[in-house]
Amino acid sequence: MAVDESERNFEHPLYHYWENMPGGGIGMTSLDRLLMHSARHSLWFFPMATSCCAIEFMTAAASRVDMDQVGTIIRPTPRHCDVMVVAGTITVKMAPRVKKLWDQMPEPKWGIAMGSCAICGDFYRDIYSVVPGVDTIIPIDVYIPGCPPNADQVMVGLQRLQEKIAAQLAGKTIDKDPRPPNMIYPAIGTHGDARQTEATATGQLEASRNLGYGGQEHRVPVAPPKPPAGDAT
Amino acid sequence: MTLPHREADVTLPKPARKDPHVDLEKLDAAADLMAINMGPQHPSTHGVMRIKLWLDGEMIVKAVPYCGYLHRGVEKLCERLTVVQLTPIVDKHDYVSPMTNEQALNIAFERMLGLEVPRRARYMRTIIAEIQRIASHLLWLGTFTLDIGGTIGGGASLMMYTFREREAILDVFEMLTGARFHYNTHTVGGQRHDVPVGWPAAVKKMIDAVDAHMPEYEQQCYGNDVLVLRTKGVGVIDRELALELGLSGPNLRASGVDLDLRRDEPFSAYDEIKVNVAVATDGDVYARFDVRMREMHESIRIVRELIDSIPEGPICSQKPVKVPFAVKLPAGRQFYTAIETPRGELGTYVIGGGAEKGAAPYRLKFRPPSLHAMSALPYALVGHTVPDVVAILGSLDPILGEVDR
Amino acid sequence: MMSPLPAPVRAALAARWPEVFPAEGDLDPNGPLVPADSHYDLAALLKEHGYLLYVTVVATHFPTPEGDTFEVATVLRNPSTGKAFWWRCKLGADPVIATLFPLFAGADWQEREQFDLVGVRFAGHPDLRRLMLPEDWEGHPLRKSYAIDTPHAPWR
Ligand code: SF4
Repeated sequence: MAVDESERNFEHPLYHYWENMPGGGIGMTSLDRLLMHSARHSLWFFPMATSCCAIEFMTAAASRVDMDQVGTIIRPTPRHCDVMVVAGTITVKMAPRVKKLWDQMPEPKWGIAMGSCAICGDFYRDIYSVVPGVDTIIPIDVYIPGCPPNADQVMVGLQRLQEKIAAQLAGKTIDKDPRPPNMIYPAIGTHGDARQTEATATGQLEASRNLGYGGQEHRVPVAPPKPPAGDAT
Repeated sequence: MTLPHREADVTLPKPARKDPHVDLEKLDAAADLMAINMGPQHPSTHGVMRIKLWLDGEMIVKAVPYCGYLHRGVEKLCERLTVVQLTPIVDKHDYVSPMTNEQALNIAFERMLGLEVPRRARYMRTIIAEIQRIASHLLWLGTFTLDIGGTIGGGASLMMYTFREREAILDVFEMLTGARFHYNTHTVGGQRHDVPVGWPAAVKKMIDAVDAHMPEYEQQCYGNDVLVLRTKGVGVIDRELALELGLSGPNLRASGVDLDLRRDEPFSAYDEIKVNVAVATDGDVYARFDVRMREMHESIRIVRELIDSIPEGPICSQKPVKVPFAVKLPAGRQFYTAIETPRGELGTYVIGGGAEKGAAPYRLKFRPPSLHAMSALPYALVGHTVPDVVAILGSLDPILGEVDR
Repeated sequence: MMSPLPAPVRAALAARWPEVFPAEGDLDPNGPLVPADSHYDLAALLKEHGYLLYVTVVATHFPTPEGDTFEVATVLRNPSTGKAFWWRCKLGADPVIATLFPLFAGADWQEREQFDLVGVRFAGHPDLRRLMLPEDWEGHPLRKSYAIDTPHAPWR
């Protein structure tokens, strides 16, 4: 088991400041409860919006459904946000960026996979360039199935996340949500799963860290075509 | 109706063609260029794309866009699916106007096989395409004004209004097909879903609502100095360059080329009606904005004209498809055809006779108008500042699902 | 759709390539097959005759028992009549064809895409890099010999 789900830290960062302050130990538990309570009711969303599902996510944020009514705000930078909503297909070229952006978000943080593409790759899951589910890269707390899920389904997923946070608040241990049925299990295993090998997990981490700014050389000499790989389709 | 329309106060000399591959070493060595990166996760790039910009002070001297962050390999997937199974796949390309994607694909197969489409289905297709054009332009208008932040009352307010109208349009589509977003309603030879009872009335109500709100949008945009000043003379693409790049749709018409496939290569019921093509000559961001706004009026007019005269009759010339192998493409036949979508010429190049005993295409290549629009960026961005990048990108209206496929 | 060429264009083409474009009769409905070394000249001639809009380029892989062959189809459109025209060129196992970039700026990205996915190289292209896939990718996915579900560690 390479990646340990238990290494995720759901404690609020302010908690530690408080703890180290003189006399801070008093009322620590209730402060934590207060902070988690406020986190639950003012979730800031980071839209990892890549394709069609993003349009439906915009609809959820726009006039008719209006996610703002439950205190969510959409912020375009990962450093402000609590929840990453992965809306759309994640490709091999995008995957290291998703991992990197997730790592840039401060704890505590939660992940939502919106749409079948983000959950399992949908009908693109067999294709050479598509990641079969974003939970192979980052931990996902709530799955919202659909192609795309309706805007009101997004609200249902949001409520499910709030329930989970409330359970955390009450000190309950919560099981990881399973993938919805019929959404095939990927060969490389999901994040925090025993099937995901050490090599896969470290490879993903390395790749996301090595996204140097100058990583892509501007002009590359054209190599002669490589011999074809793999068998005939 | 008179618009609070302002004529150009700014006239710029016609710029010379920029070299997109300019060697950075050849640029002024003392200029101390700075490189900045936009994307692939950037709020105003309409999806996942990345532009690397080299700046001399505040001015862009070179721009290199990168795409492919959403490359889902659809053309490979199409080679193992049959013709009938392809319609729901192409919905996902230009996800702002899924209906016209389906239409383009099915018209390509119909023209290749020489199939007739009943008149009722052709009318329905035309109406659907025009409503979809309005929905697509509304979403464009909302995000474009959000990006440049220049509408009265701040950036996001106009987006909220346009989404209100777009919801009304999605309701009409949901009434017709049962789906809000990815419809799968076109098929080879016609339509899958017939017009439900009360649909024409619902469409008319929706169109009236959109039409009633159009002056609001116009007043918020044309009557707004910030928007006009930020768009006039910015991102000019001249006529020759637009043609060479293969721009199409509103982007091409804004550069002064009077080409619209609805009129010049009519498909569906466009041969029975008159289409007034909106053309502008400046080729800047403002012209592209203006052309799209005028196109919305034209679409409203066409829907109003057709909605009452949908003829009676069958909606599909083929038997209802039970097996996915029902339609076969002739082996070795190669065919290109295109229709006009809200973004321009969406072409399909088909080679017949692939897998599944010829029921799958051997090769299917889409000609995405958005990819051509994006390839204009290295030319259009040079000489402008970083805030202009989002304005120019927004005015070209690329949809990344279609660029990368 | 392939529409008939206007008479002056047809005459000019017939004078230059009489075996591909006979002065009378219909052209090949699949697109006339032009020798690969005439590719650039044909595009230049069509551009002179009003085919100014660059539409697309399509490369296709045809594996045969004798070896790989490729076809490159190019589509142009005349903006004043709105009619499109396309032609094809056949290439051998090592596919190289002249770029149209000097004539049409749009060929830049289109040819990069076909190089990326099919592996046809365009001689004289100023910047022939991969467009869609990461630059360290191996192989060309739209070749028939490329398996659709090729794994790519550590992501899939
Ligand atoms: S699940 Fe459907 S709507 Fe969502 S990104 Fe995938 S294809 Fe698009």
